[in-house]
Amino acid sequence: MRVSLRTLAPVAALGVVAIALVVALVAAGLAVLGGDDEAQTTYMGALISRPVDMPDATLTDQNGEPFDLKADTAGFVTLLYVGYTHCPDICPTHLYNMSEALKRLPKDVSSKVKVILVTADPERDTPERMKEYVETFREDFIGLTGTREETDAFQETLGVNVASRTDLGGGNYTVNHAAYVIAFTKEQVAYTVYPAGMGLTEWLNDIPLLVKKGFKP
Amino acid sequence: MFRNWMRRLAAVAALSLVATGMVVVAACGGDDDDDTNGNGSVTPAATLGKLTILDPWVRTTTNDVSAAYFTVKNSGLDDTLISAKTSVTTNVQLHEVVTEGGTSKMQEKAGGFPVPANGELALKPGGYHVMLMDLKSPLKEGDQVELELTFKSAGTVKLSAPVKPGAAMSPGLGSGSPTATPK
Repeated sequence: MRVSLRTLAPVAALGVVAIALVVALVAAGLAVLGGDDEAQTTYMGALISRPVDMPDATLTDQNGEPFDLKADTAGFVTLLYVGYTHCPDICPTHLYNMSEALKRLPKDVSSKVKVILVTADPERDTPERMKEYVETFREDFIGLTGTREETDAFQETLGVNVASRTDLGGGNYTVNHAAYVIAFTKEQVAYTVYPAGMGLTEWLNDIPLLVKKGFKP
Repeated sequence: MFRNWMRRLAAVAALSLVATGMVVVAACGGDDDDDTNGNGSVTPAATLGKLTILDPWVRTTTNDVSAAYFTVKNSGLDDTLISAKTSVTTNVQLHEVVTEGGTSKMQEKAGGFPVPANGELALKPGGYHVMLMDLKSPLKEGDQVELELTFKSAGTVKLSAPVKPGAAMSPGLGSGSPTATPK
């Protein structure tokens, strides 16, 4: 029985959240003790405090074509991540782990999944840069960019903290951004997220569930 | 039924006390069984006194930014990794990832990375890394990068790190925080 619970402390750094987590974990602990036979309890991803709808937005894909988030992901499980191509650490780790998981999963599962990187650094991430970046992980990964206004508005709509910059000197900077993958069901609602720290194990468990079972609200 | 109700309570409890943004509650335990900085029989990349450097690698890139990772095992006294040099760029910083309220940022780690006595320092995704900037050209899988690491007490050691797209398996990131674990 898989009952070990783990708080996602890095995400819940606020003091007030600690109380919420204690309450939540007690409840969740009782829930899990009850059994393991339903879809929700078998997910390894972190449950979001409230489900998130796929934003109604159109950005530009890596081929320079418009990409309508709602229309162009309809019927697919969508693993969405806000990041940037000059990210040396967390972004490529997530993308690499997802690519490895999809490589290992059967085609009837992997073909139902779209992986999307939305840049938080549109000044550097042109469609060309996005193309060479996302396609090194997997040829069908999607990279979206837009104007600064568009990418900021997208993050706003999504409900994540809008990215900011830290100057590293010499014209270099890093982008501070939401560092978790958001998993949308085929119904285009996300119930789970995958912070840094979740990797291949979690994806191999959860991607088939997302594709085959979905999530009962 | 009861279970569903309790689960819902869990979600509601987290939701109700949180003012902004997303807060998450762990659903089920992700074990740390996918740790790649493992204790298997790995050939040390380099040794320096009581320090052993294991599993060095540098990430492939399509632009001028990358990161280097490795593990330092220490069978001696406390030490600190204070600087790194590489063959591929002179612009190198020791970075940590800090996650606050769901946002992660990378920043220079003041004073360097601690190497605890009789313990280890692990550089891995989501934690500490050697940040490489202004690369002369993108790094491709199969390339080798020469690293020169300087420790406060032990001195300087050179080693060679392969370029790879990621850790061999899912990196066991634990809480996503850097690790410097006394043993």
